[in-house]
Amino acid sequence: MCRSFSFALIFYLFLHYRIIVASQFEGFDGEEDDVSDDSSHLHHSLPPPLLTQSHSSLSDLEPEPESSSAESNSDLISESDPEHESDSTTPSSTPFEYWDEDEFEGLPMEIETLESPLIAENTTPSDPKTLDLKTSSETQEGTTDQMKKKKSYAVEIACVVFLIALAVNYFVGKRENESLALAWAAKFASKDTIFQKNFSLLGVSEGEDSPLLLKEALNVFKFYASGRRYCHGLLATMELKSRHDLISRMFNLVVPCKDEITFEVYMNEDTMDHVVFAMARKKAAKTMQKEMRDLQRFAGIVSSPAGRKWVSEELAVISESKEVAADMITDTVLDQVFGDKAVDKYGKNFMSMHISDQHPGKHKKMMLFKFSLPDAKHMDDIVRLVALIPYYIDLVGRYRLSSQARNKTESGRQKAAEEAYKELQNARQEALQKKKAEKKKMMEEAEAKLSAEVIRKKEAKERARQKIQLHGVDVVSKAAIWRLVQPSRLTSISPLSRFWTPSMSTCRHDKQQRVYLLMSSYTEKSLPNRSTPLASTIS
Amino acid sequence: MSHSHGNASSANDPRQPSAAKPYTPRPVAPEDLPVDYSGFIAVILGVSGVMFRYKICSWLAIIFCAQSLANMRNLENDLKQISMAMMFAIMGLVTNYLGPNRPATKK
Repeated sequence: MCRSFSFALIFYLFLHYRIIVASQFEGFDGEEDDVSDDSSHLHHSLPPPLLTQSHSSLSDLEPEPESSSAESNSDLISESDPEHESDSTTPSSTPFEYWDEDEFEGLPMEIETLESPLIAENTTPSDPKTLDLKTSSETQEGTTDQMKKKKSYAVEIACVVFLIALAVNYFVGKRENESLALAWAAKFASKDTIFQKNFSLLGVSEGEDSPLLLKEALNVFKFYASGRRYCHGLLATMELKSRHDLISRMFNLVVPCKDEITFEVYMNEDTMDHVVFAMARKKAAKTMQKEMRDLQRFAGIVSSPAGRKWVSEELAVISESKEVAADMITDTVLDQVFGDKAVDKYGKNFMSMHISDQHPGKHKKMMLFKFSLPDAKHMDDIVRLVALIPYYIDLVGRYRLSSQARNKTESGRQKAAEEAYKELQNARQEALQKKKAEKKKMMEEAEAKLSAEVIRKKEAKERARQKIQLHGVDVVSKAAIWRLVQPSRLTSISPLSRFWTPSMSTCRHDKQQRVYLLMSSYTEKSLPNRSTPLASTIS
Repeated sequence: MSHSHGNASSANDPRQPSAAKPYTPRPVAPEDLPVDYSGFIAVILGVSGVMFRYKICSWLAIIFCAQSLANMRNLENDLKQISMAMMFAIMGLVTNYLGPNRPATKK
């Protein structure tokens, strides 16, 4: 589609060149060309029929003084008016008639726009009084045209300025994002910081001085850490605002968004018990409960228990059971971040956390923490939040459910596993059936092809055998046939005729054979299959 | 102080260098990448700029091309679209400014 379109474009461009070229060779146009041109437009303009010839000559001459007058006004009209320009392009309308109009969609419009001023011109020179009026109107048009030109340049200037702003913003925004990411890394992943104390491997590649951050896009940075008990890895993804992109920056003015950081902690399979737990702000918690498959399946929103300190009003807890919820929200956590007093000060960047052993995807046992990032100067705001991560790794890694609760969760998981297994089975079966059907189809096709080939081969073999049979007729007998049938004909073949004497026929057997071989190589082409029936009769 | 509870719960060092696994980037399928809307818009504007000879369309197409270029992630895939859009946009500008109006602007 694209290619055909580009072909159409090329034609379109070519068309424009035709117009330009035609206008350049305006002066070289033949007289009769103009005449025919005029006569072709007679039907449109319909002047008095008798005067047409003189008119045509008039209209040929008239534009010249007109154009000279236009040129004399050139100090007034800095850029020539469209009327004049269309005048210059008029002769080019003739070659269009030879073109297939269906091929060029834009063409008919072009002709119309070219013709309409031409018709006007054919009629106007008929009375010379209008000419003065016209020139005055032309000057007016020139001034308006000038204004138009100025206006049109405004668009170009605006666009170029915007492009420059785009380019400048690209570099500025890129640096801003980088500095923010680096500020985060310096705060949490450099020496003697939270991650350095908790993980033995920091950074995305092995080695001592591996880069801490991986820049995936201009606004996406990744940080990886590994080598800690209870978990085999932590991946932090910073998704910053698209500061490098002016358009989305402007869009963000209308729809504000935040810099976010997401921590994924991949827990060890054997150390994590059945835990499904999530916490978020009230509104977000509801959507999470609806959208996350594991929460939807295993958990529900837990109301705050009576007679116990609980998380702040702003937050909602989703959990599989009250027991789990109570065990996950410890006093330390409430004191540090999520309690009524602490949440305003330390929890304002908290978005959500999600601990689950039933995560859909490659890693089933995973913890997810989502925080918003403050600006580079206020990185201290999220220190307590980030400190939650190692705390929860230890908490969840050590956590064991009571036997009662475990029975409950076990049955639920078994059910889920069965369902998943069934689904998988179904999907597999379907895939298998599809494959089978495809295979069958292919086999059939191949068979059909093969059988056709076999038949063809057989036929070819048969033919070959027949040919061999023909050629395989005893040489002696063939020679005999030759002698019997074709002596007269052979004598007419000049190079052999001298061998074929009556005395030769009485020669020894082997000699005869040789002669025949020679002969057959000569005569095979000239002799048709006439010998066939004879050969069969003789052999 | 803030991360003290992380260490308080563990008597010794939580680090386990033996368990460290190097980072393996997850392979991202090209379908999972965010859709390049700006590139798409640029192509549409570029084509309409050429077709209907709107200068503004071609200019906007170039602007969206620049945006798409700034947001480029997958070098091979995106570059195709962007170059196509760029071609259309430039073609539109060429036809607009160097088209049949040229002799007129010269005079």
